[in-house]
Amino acid sequence: MSFNPIALNGKRFLISGAASGLGRATSVLLSKLGAEVVLLDINEDGLNSTKELCGDSVVHCITANLQNPVEIKPVIISAVDKWGKLNGFVHLAGRPYVSPLKSINHNTTTEIFNLNTYAAIELAKVFSSKNVFAGDAGSIVFISSVYGFVGSAANVGYAMSKAALHGVTKSLSIELAVKNIRVNCVAPGFVKTKMLDNVSGLFNQDYYNTLNNLHPLGLGEADDVANAIAFLLSDMSKWITGTILSVDGGFTAQ
Amino acid sequence: MEIFLNQMAELLEVESVNLQDEITSFDAWDSLTSLSIIALADDVYSVSISAQDILNAKTIESLYQFIQSKK
Repeated sequence: MSFNPIALNGKRFLISGAASGLGRATSVLLSKLGAEVVLLDINEDGLNSTKELCGDSVVHCITANLQNPVEIKPVIISAVDKWGKLNGFVHLAGRPYVSPLKSINHNTTTEIFNLNTYAAIELAKVFSSKNVFAGDAGSIVFISSVYGFVGSAANVGYAMSKAALHGVTKSLSIELAVKNIRVNCVAPGFVKTKMLDNVSGLFNQDYYNTLNNLHPLGLGEADDVANAIAFLLSDMSKWITGTILSVDGGFTAQ
Repeated sequence: MEIFLNQMAELLEVESVNLQDEITSFDAWDSLTSLSIIALADDVYSVSISAQDILNAKTIESLYQFIQSKK
């Protein structure tokens, strides 16, 4: 076998938000790298499409509404009972929330927080149990955003949810080190996904051009983020924990 | 309708608005107010509208009718 230090053979990872966008790209890449993957999303049809893209790899699908924290533990426990313990997970499920301060809504903000942030904590809580974690070289990867670092108008609810993940990453990296579980976070810039299409549909071509100009390397591809996730899940990053890795085409370098 | 008028008055930062008022005529009108109206339509009425839809509607009444037509 050729030398491939990022190979994930023999490892099993859970990927939330696997039905589309970054979650789909990550699922396909991890499969190609040899991992067995458990795909989690609320969108069953999307999960099945992702599974097809993973080809002959070992892929399982589970559905849950991650905005509702009590749904998380039962589906993970059930998955582990059927397919075995996990080596790590990636929390890619998330929603944007474009709203200026004057129209911000408590119910929507709570939904955003529950999905983007609290679900990450709940997944970590369930995963770190001896009943779920395989016990060797564990890795958790959260996904924040450039807006966890820098500000933009009409973005307070989303920025809250993503900046909070940076604190979660650092706190849990300390708390879980004793269990040999690393905790890191990828902070992407804008990548060409359906979420960006949905958000940019609110704006005009000028806004799209402005977005592009914010990235010295241009807008990203989903694979650019998936590659960083694969690195952080693999043993190549075994001495890295508590890190927020910017994958943003230079957005926050300015 | 009354609730919608109150919501628009709050976003446009005035005591009250009238059906025939032009949305862009208010001192508080700007791109963020436009985004606020888009967020209101999505959050409260579950309707997706664009900034251009708001400009096309021109008046408060036309915007209300446009949102109702998309529900």
